[in-house]
Amino acid sequence: MEILSALGHGFAVALQPINLMACFFGVFIGTLVGVLPGIGPVSAMALLLPVTLSGSPEAGIIMMAGIYYGSMYGGSTTSILVNIPGEAASVITCLDGHQMAKNGRAGPALGIAAIGSFVAGTFAIVALMLVAPWLAKFAIAFGPPEYFSLMVLGLTVLAFLTQGSMAKSLLMACVGVTLGLVGIDQITAAPRLTFDRLELLDGVGLIPVVMGLFGVAEILANIERSVQREVVSARIGSLWPTLQDWAYSKWAIARGTILGFFLGILPGGGAVISSFASYALERRLSKRPEMFGKGAIEGVAGPEAANNSAAGGAFIPLLTLGIPPNVVMALLLGAFIIHGIQPGPLLITQNPGIFWGIVASMYIGNIMLLILNFPLIGMWVQVLKVPYKLLFPLILMFCIVGVFSSGSAVFDVFVMTVFGLIGYLMRKFGYEPAPLVLAFVLGPMVENNLRKSLILSQGDFSVFIERPISLACLIVAAAMILAPLLPVLRAKREAVALDQE
Amino acid sequence: MTRRRVVAAIAAFGLLPAVFSFHAPAYAQAYPAKPITLIVPWPAGGSTDISMRAIAKGAEKHLGQPVIVDNKGGASGTLGPATMAATAKPDGYTISQIPITIFRLPLMKNQKVSWNPDTDFTYIVHLTGYAFAVGVRGESPFKKWQDVVDFAKANPGKVSYGTPGAGTSLHIGMELIAGQSGIQLTHVPFKGDGEQRAAVLGGHIDMAVGGSGLVPFVADGTMRALMIWTKERAKAWPDVPTLKDLGYPWVFDSPFGIAGPKGMDPKHVQILHDAFKKSLDDPETLAVLDKFFMVPNYADQKGYLEIIKQTTAYEKQALERIGLAK
Repeated sequence: MEILSALGHGFAVALQPINLMACFFGVFIGTLVGVLPGIGPVSAMALLLPVTLSGSPEAGIIMMAGIYYGSMYGGSTTSILVNIPGEAASVITCLDGHQMAKNGRAGPALGIAAIGSFVAGTFAIVALMLVAPWLAKFAIAFGPPEYFSLMVLGLTVLAFLTQGSMAKSLLMACVGVTLGLVGIDQITAAPRLTFDRLELLDGVGLIPVVMGLFGVAEILANIERSVQREVVSARIGSLWPTLQDWAYSKWAIARGTILGFFLGILPGGGAVISSFASYALERRLSKRPEMFGKGAIEGVAGPEAANNSAAGGAFIPLLTLGIPPNVVMALLLGAFIIHGIQPGPLLITQNPGIFWGIVASMYIGNIMLLILNFPLIGMWVQVLKVPYKLLFPLILMFCIVGVFSSGSAVFDVFVMTVFGLIGYLMRKFGYEPAPLVLAFVLGPMVENNLRKSLILSQGDFSVFIERPISLACLIVAAAMILAPLLPVLRAKREAVALDQE
Repeated sequence: MTRRRVVAAIAAFGLLPAVFSFHAPAYAQAYPAKPITLIVPWPAGGSTDISMRAIAKGAEKHLGQPVIVDNKGGASGTLGPATMAATAKPDGYTISQIPITIFRLPLMKNQKVSWNPDTDFTYIVHLTGYAFAVGVRGESPFKKWQDVVDFAKANPGKVSYGTPGAGTSLHIGMELIAGQSGIQLTHVPFKGDGEQRAAVLGGHIDMAVGGSGLVPFVADGTMRALMIWTKERAKAWPDVPTLKDLGYPWVFDSPFGIAGPKGMDPKHVQILHDAFKKSLDDPETLAVLDKFFMVPNYADQKGYLEIIKQTTAYEKQALERIGLAK
């Protein structure tokens, strides 16, 4: 009951006209930057940070939070329509989402993404409200050995991302890991593979790589075959998910929500990894794995739910521990501090208006997003009718603006261009970019946590099996790798691989 | 690879006054006749960004022109100043926050840098430094710093400490302190302040060496501060000893100021110096600095160079100890 009265107080804060406007403005901007490839929540929030200085802390923080979870809603749109992820967390949505669009089912794909996002977003808020302090303990139970084992588990996801040749996919993963090595080594502070370029000291940026491999490469690839594609995209079909779609999606949404939420809580986990993990999980559990990569709606529903609940989960370490689990949360932490509020264990008692106001605004924001996104589906689908000669230059422009704005560095635009060319060649020769991106994200985390664990254990490897969470992750990882070798399951995996070609 | 941010819109706002001043008789106007760009080589929203924005706002009042903050993060805060040194005109309209890494990186092995801190900048004014502290979990058996020293003497390498990265001021400072005390500590570098704090709270490491992020944890008892590396004790922590109180002859606060490209007009330097100096007395600026336990540490051009000389000497010694020196 105490929670209800506190939440009531929160709604009283969130429903003040100024805060309601801040919330709407936030989710609207969020949807927009989510849709636009390259421009992500980080750029938008950094830009608007100074604007929040003038208003009340509630309004500023509600708006900033809205941008973040709003962008997770919008990210799937371009993935589905034009095979270019609006956000790094929507990379995986391209695989089946765009296939659905090609089959004339862009509407249901967008619809299920919005519904999955809504369900996941709402779940994350309820969990944030009820069990945040307990979950904060879960987050800090993860030390370097646990992270290492979790990331190893993450890498086994690779096996389920592969649509064609496993060898090619492993090769791409190696490229991804190598790219992840670029920059200052965190343990020894030695620069690696930087070729004395100052710009490379912080490593290669995820956004330019993703935008190059997916965005620019997609455009280049389409230039050669635009004639056939326009025929495909002219068929738009029904806008709503069918009953059959529901049957496939409902458990995918539920699983994606829970998976994403827990990965979102962990510092360093987050939306990108959770979307990959959810996709792999759905493909693993599916009764029709052969449909994955060909427009399986659960391959859209699961990851989109996962990245949204990860976005919600990420608020927990920030609000209860004052620890930002990702860059976006670090920006939000900045917004708090500018207003003289320190998120952390004392936030709920010292600033209940802020804490409960944010929680309540997230309920309102999620409903706004659903209302905002559903009528827009029809409009977004019309985008497919825009002639490619207009659409592609526009997308390319957004990619350039977005990548530049993410670091205000022209160097990043070059990186994107180079990866655009690489991505184009990869497509030509049947190499997939998704394993590269996954390994690029996970590789450095695996290395770093392995080394930290060994520093702490003074070189003793048994630390990974003595700690229960770590051991559990390693066992699941081993099961994931070994399962395809068992005869029963093997038949299924082969069916998947064969069908994808 | 995360420190990247934008300021295009702010720059766009900045253009507005520039357009207006175009119509005014520019020749008659004294410096500064247009907005000044201040490069902050750290991400928006961090402690450096927030404090520099406050200082810049205070300086605006005296300059009569807006100061536009341009967050150009990267390469431990060196990318922004290095780019400025290489490309900006010394016309007084582009200046940068100068983090200690501008002086440190050239001392580190395997690092080739494009700038020379002695010749490539015009130092304007020294401003302040950070408040660094060493904290342990509330339940930790280490009640005071001496407990750590005693335990580590008996158990070399068994006490671990986290920092937000190898080669940071926190890593260097801690190694100097350990060296002086004759103890061996195990260093575990994390990615940023938040991650290492989580590791301390979870009991994965014994101590966190970090910035003002510790404050709320110390306030609610989940963490305990063993020492603070500033010159004076913090107002909010009257019982937490400084390094000097503990018998170490240092202040480690990663001091910073601002500089422009080499060859700036001394008159412009004076105007900027005066404006930023006044900002350090501004109660509004002080209120923001106070949130991070920062205190003004004003020094003019000469004093700035003196501070640099001292700091570089410590750092060289520390880098040699941890095997990172050239």
